[in-house]
Amino acid sequence: MSSRAADVIPAADRRSPDRPTPDLATSDLPAARTARRGAAAVLLDGVLKRFGTVTALEETRLRVEQGEFLTLLGPSGCGKTTLLNLMAGFLEADAGEILIGGEQVTATPPYERQIGIVFQNYALFPHMSVARNVGYGLRMRGVPKREIAARVEETLALVKLQGFADRSPRQLSGGQQQRVALARALVIRPRVLLLDEPFSALDKNLRGAMQVELKEIQRRLGVTTVFVTHDQGEALSLSDRIVVMSAGRIRQVGTPDEVYRHPQDRFVAGFIGDVNTLPARLETLSGVRATVALGDLRREVEAAALRDRPPGSPVDVFVRPDHLGVRPAGEGGTLPARVAALVYQGSHIDLHADLATGERVVVRVPGQGALATHAPGTAIGLAVPQGGLVAFPPE
Amino acid sequence: MTPAIRRRPFLPLFVVPAALVAIAITAGLAAILRFSLHAYVPGSLDVGGFTLDNFADLARPIVLRAMRDTVLICFETALATLILGYPVAYALVRTRSALLKSVILVTAVTPLFLGEVVRTYAWTVVLGNSGFINATLRQFGLIDRPIQFMFTEFGVVVALVHVTLPVMVIMLAAALAHIDRDYEKAAQSLGAGPVRAFLTVTLPLSMPGVVAGFTTAFAWTFSAFATPQVIGGGKVGVVSTLVYQLGLSSFNFPVAASLSLAGLGLALGTMWAVRRAARPLEAMGGH
Ligand SMILES: Nc1ncnc2c1ncn2[C@@H]1O[C@H](COP(=O)(O)OP(=O)(O)OP(=O)(O)O)[C@@H](O)[C@H]1O
Ligand SMILES: [Mg+2]
Repeated sequence: MSSRAADVIPAADRRSPDRPTPDLATSDLPAARTARRGAAAVLLDGVLKRFGTVTALEETRLRVEQGEFLTLLGPSGCGKTTLLNLMAGFLEADAGEILIGGEQVTATPPYERQIGIVFQNYALFPHMSVARNVGYGLRMRGVPKREIAARVEETLALVKLQGFADRSPRQLSGGQQQRVALARALVIRPRVLLLDEPFSALDKNLRGAMQVELKEIQRRLGVTTVFVTHDQGEALSLSDRIVVMSAGRIRQVGTPDEVYRHPQDRFVAGFIGDVNTLPARLETLSGVRATVALGDLRREVEAAALRDRPPGSPVDVFVRPDHLGVRPAGEGGTLPARVAALVYQGSHIDLHADLATGERVVVRVPGQGALATHAPGTAIGLAVPQGGLVAFPPE
Repeated sequence: MTPAIRRRPFLPLFVVPAALVAIAITAGLAAILRFSLHAYVPGSLDVGGFTLDNFADLARPIVLRAMRDTVLICFETALATLILGYPVAYALVRTRSALLKSVILVTAVTPLFLGEVVRTYAWTVVLGNSGFINATLRQFGLIDRPIQFMFTEFGVVVALVHVTLPVMVIMLAAALAHIDRDYEKAAQSLGAGPVRAFLTVTLPLSMPGVVAGFTTAFAWTFSAFATPQVIGGGKVGVVSTLVYQLGLSSFNFPVAASLSLAGLGLALGTMWAVRRAARPLEAMGGH
């Protein structure tokens, strides 16, 4: 069941109990020492931010658990960076409180928050070597020279950049610069690591590799991470929990599976993954389930979003392209449709079909067989699964 | 016409005026060179035979003192302009307030369009013995005799700073505008307060602009004539005013010509030395 999971699932509980204890020197993370027992890594309580007349972030409550990987996901302009800047202290909230590790930081300047940030363009200091970049935060904290050298080396090893210490950032590839930025943020043992679309400048292959690596490092160090992206695939594959945002509001907080399979509203359903919208009619409502009529078909859906709708009112059913099936025309339990186009996608075919009612749907058909058997114009029966459907009132 | 030029039909439009200017300057320099290598005939604008004596003449104490003072005044002016101009440029680039931006532009940059002479005469009104500063100080009973600003090196430097400030602000602002604000944010997130973030990141990254601004102010001041002439009033001898005295008061064109050439050499030499000394600074900010 989907839920405003923000306050419900402590990250630690979802981890396998045999998770290796963090190695490296991170077991003495200051966060672990100073955080009050049970305190959230970050807590935004009624935080609100306006720019002039634009409300970039409406009153928001969000709890980030110790050690979790939380992703802020949403379209451009929805307030992700604003939220991140509020946590980092680069923006002042117009209302509400921010706590880090249980400590009130609402009025604390960024340089006293002990937060690590990886910027989209890396922001590596061009006039410093890799080692001096990574050691910068330690120098600012007055850490003794010898310890700086040791920790810089250790952290460069962590991001697999041994031997690059004396290079200039300009002499590094995009991926390597990314690692330096990560090392520079991690070496100060931040209470929270913030990343704002860190991979958007990398090409697709490199992005995939860096995602895996970031996740690995994050798991190893157990550092609380807040990650910003507008790429839903990235969010689904990396996160412990996803915060879906739109227009300055949090629409849903949940595990990737929760937001993918149990979206709470139309926006989330449409934003995460590809989806078809089928017009239907509400038949009955009983407890947590509702029955809807899709043409001649009856299907069960979650009732939460339809609770105050009278029977007979129109609803939209959301179904993923890979959950639909193609059957011969006229087969029982299918919706009549006609093939409109076939789009070759390598491992699968996207079959576009027009329903008898006029709606266009996309069906993901594995393999290449459909190319030969379902030429455009072919009449088909569209198989709609029994489970896994969600429905919302029309807009 | 070469193919390269044929492919860019607008190129002659740019090249021809530039070539004309270059020819005019070369001709001027050649004339000066010719004067400097010929003997002075008192009472005549014509010159005598070939000689190197004009350059030997420059070893006089008054000339050497003018050269030393010129370099000193240029240094002081460039340094003071830099120190005053940096915060102004920084505010201009970083402020979010459109009002502050326009105020800075109007007060610091538009004087550029007033020209050296107008600005210099404005300063005589401010610096004179019964000028704005002295009148104000006297009004408040802080002094009973006027402080001498006119005809002092200090007065000359003050006016020259005002003359060079707009160029300095423009050059520094251009350099600062190129520095991504994320650098400062990154520094702050790593524990550097605003001052330390500035000193360790922004300032070093702006060094190319600092060096460029300093050398430009230096060269600008070296060639300044109206300001040292009017504010210095003959009491502050710099190369440009000395050339003027020799050339147009004594009509000793040959020595004036040799002094201009020596001044040119001095200016190029000191600027080369400044740039060389600043090379490590500049390298700091290479993007
Ligand atoms: N400094 C600012 N001044 C005025 N408006 C701002 C400012 N910063 C952000 N906004 C506005 O606040 C809203 C949220 O912006 P924000 O940068 O947080 O979006 P985002 O989710 O990070 O978008 P993107 O994915 O494009 O980075 C936008 O409407 C934006 O125009
Ligand atoms: Mg953003």
